[in-house]
Amino acid sequence: MYELMYVINPVLSDDQTKNMVERVQNYLRENDADVVHTEEMGSQRLAYPIQKKRNGYYVVTNFRGDGTFIAKLERALQINDDILRHLVLRYDAKMQRYFEQQRAKAAEQPVEADA
Amino acid sequence: MAEATTETTTTEASAAPAASSSTESQQTPEQKAAAADQPTITRTAAPGANRRRTRCPFVAAGIEYIDYKDIDTLERYINEQGKLLPRRLTGVSAKFQRQLTIAVKRARHVALLPFVAENVR
Repeated sequence: MYELMYVINPVLSDDQTKNMVERVQNYLRENDADVVHTEEMGSQRLAYPIQKKRNGYYVVTNFRGDGTFIAKLERALQINDDILRHLVLRYDAKMQRYFEQQRAKAAEQPVEADA
Repeated sequence: MAEATTETTTTEASAAPAASSSTESQQTPEQKAAAADQPTITRTAAPGANRRRTRCPFVAAGIEYIDYKDIDTLERYINEQGKLLPRRLTGVSAKFQRQLTIAVKRARHVALLPFVAENVR
């Protein structure tokens, strides 16, 4: 399983942001990745300015899939000017367990659920 | 409790090697009087004497993986400037210090944590 975190430009409107998230999701699906979970952490203050921007819209996506397209994905994210930062991690057993723990915890406490 | 009493006597002897302590140890009736006089001095332990060797907080909490998104935890291992704290101050085990550095660096990359704190820049 992989984890992808990316930070979207805060200047974009809500619709554009949504669109952006959708585009990434679609890209993953096109590459036969199985999106396990997506969490939008929302707009947060950046610890330091990036491209003169002080905020960023954080999205974390977990997906399962063949890793061969990740290089392409990263390249696409890199090129996209509206993605300030991105980070892709491959899960090891520990991270997997941690992820499941977090999911279980989130399931217990009724937080705003997303699709 | 038995340990505590022995500790106090030794610290008193070492902390105040002057006249009072030596007389105390030799003469029992005066020792009682002295103890009554200054009951506060009993806890003059040397710095760090009663500080037990701290266990790794991550091991203690049963944590397996340090998440770079968990800023509240990571912030505890960072100083004012945004630098990582040394293990000798935090008591983190080597295994988790390694994980911690990676987590902090990841967090910095995605601007969850600063490379250099605002007030220093």
